[in-house]
Amino acid sequence: MSGEGTSQPARTAADLDGLSDEELTHLGAGLDGVRILEREHRFAPGSKAERRAERLVAGCFVIAFLSVVGFIAVYLFYPWRFSLADQRYFLYTPLLGLTMGLALLAVGAGIVLWGKLLMPHETAVQDRHDGFSDETDRRTIAATFRDSLEMTGLARRSLLRRSLFLGSGALGLMAVVPLGGLVKNPWAKKELLGTPWKAGMRLVRLDGVAVRPEDLRPGGMETVFPDVPGGRHAPDGPVMLIRLYPDVTRRPRAGQADYSWGSYVAFSKICTHVGCPTSLYEQQTNKILCPCHQSQFDATRDAKPIFGPATRSLPMLPITVDSEGFFVARSDFREPIGPAFWERRNYD
Amino acid sequence: MTKPTAAEPADPSPGLLARARRRASSTIALTVALGAVGFGYAAIAPSSAAADQTPSADAQRGQQIYQTACITCHGRNLQGVPDRGPSLIGVGEAATYFQVATGRMPAAAQGSQIPAKPPQYTEEQVNQIAGYVQSVGGGPQVPSGNLRDGDMALGGELFRLNCAQCHNFAGKGGALSSGKSAPGLGTSTDQVIYAAMLSGPENMPVFGDNNITPAEKRAIVSYVQTLKETKDPGGNGVGRLGPVPESIVLWVAGIGALMFAVLWIGAKS
Repeated sequence: MSGEGTSQPARTAADLDGLSDEELTHLGAGLDGVRILEREHRFAPGSKAERRAERLVAGCFVIAFLSVVGFIAVYLFYPWRFSLADQRYFLYTPLLGLTMGLALLAVGAGIVLWGKLLMPHETAVQDRHDGFSDETDRRTIAATFRDSLEMTGLARRSLLRRSLFLGSGALGLMAVVPLGGLVKNPWAKKELLGTPWKAGMRLVRLDGVAVRPEDLRPGGMETVFPDVPGGRHAPDGPVMLIRLYPDVTRRPRAGQADYSWGSYVAFSKICTHVGCPTSLYEQQTNKILCPCHQSQFDATRDAKPIFGPATRSLPMLPITVDSEGFFVARSDFREPIGPAFWERRNYD
Repeated sequence: MTKPTAAEPADPSPGLLARARRRASSTIALTVALGAVGFGYAAIAPSSAAADQTPSADAQRGQQIYQTACITCHGRNLQGVPDRGPSLIGVGEAATYFQVATGRMPAAAQGSQIPAKPPQYTEEQVNQIAGYVQSVGGGPQVPSGNLRDGDMALGGELFRLNCAQCHNFAGKGGALSSGKSAPGLGTSTDQVIYAAMLSGPENMPVFGDNNITPAEKRAIVSYVQTLKETKDPGGNGVGRLGPVPESIVLWVAGIGALMFAVLWIGAKS
């Protein structure tokens, strides 16, 4: 910004024609209040050292080019498919990363070296005023903003102003309305309240085989699923069937005294904290652990939470054995499984 | 054990000859009968006694080791000693093999978890001890030979369903409650993995043969061993412990290197 009262001698086009680019640069800097004090080359132009620096920078760019060629070659020809016999595939991603990284690094290094070795070192000084800008600057700039607003006519033309708000407000709606699709009413289909489990439904393993009481040894655990189509992939279906040791005394929650069968108990595998699979069953301490946030449940007390962030017991599936000797559910869970939600009633 | 005795000499009194002869003949008959029973029993008894107590030289050597190393805590007849060690009746060869082959037994001290350490006995001795415990207490047995002939895809599915929650998705182990931990599977042999599933050591649930069938166990062994041999396709696996150590490496090493680069660029030449 040229200071107030700085007078520059008038120059004719002929004067300017006589100046070199470097002199013009100094002149321009001077007009902006910048004085270039010194400018020197690191190496003397044309010297041996300068040529070496030049070759170094050029070498970087050539390396970048070769790396890109290598990247394309790896992408096209390297064996990338998983194979037990030929384990070269494991180098595929690292090689891509290495060549791409080297190309980027070499371009960057070349530019940095160029700046450090070949560009002249320069010291420049710019005069700055103290405190505020002076009164004239401040007033003229404020007036410019007000004048611009006046020129748009927003203050006078109420039709334009209102239609602008209408149109741009609608743009905002585009962002907000799709969020509405994420909001679901849990009561409409009651999908948070029930699971596929029903009275008389068998407990099947991953391979679809129904579980019998003699299948588990004391201290054993089996993840079982509801015996319906798609039951093994139902997110709310997995149940831990645990056979406690015969000498373990179960202390049931209120209303769940008859939910077990013999020494077998069955709990939802979905943690009541944020829904991780809680299947770390410790057969000696009878604790069930959740791997995500270290919640612990006591299997002898109907999976009551005893440590960690979970605050509610794992829901218990009431089980019995049918006339053919297979485990069946006596009903669905009596409470919603998994993490809490706003409308969840308190069952404890 | 009854031994055939020599016939009793006949009564020497001549006046009682007829009665003596009759008595002698009945004595001989009784003696012969007793002798026959005795010989018969003696012919059968030694072999059945050997089957009950000393089935093989291996188990005998196993018994010798048991009586020096295990008897203090597990008792003379595997019945266990209160506050020292549990009963071994019914744990079988599988549990014995797992505990001794991984060096957990003989234990150095009591604790919530007996740590693995270099095994104290050779593979042969371990099998002798296991054979002895099996012969006395009975229980599940580990198959020998190559166990890596299972269906690997099935093994992977079962591993993720039953094992990964404690042993980590790559078999690196993980924390349990109160200072206990699930060990990594890095050095576990086929037999050790199989025996662990079968016997449920420490806090690991028991996966009996009706729970995870022998074919499924072999599938899991195949999967775990292949997983260990498989290289990491993304470069360094950073211990295969998941995103947390990976991001720590990226932030500390990667961003650290960038900081040095920035300092170097800004440094006065």
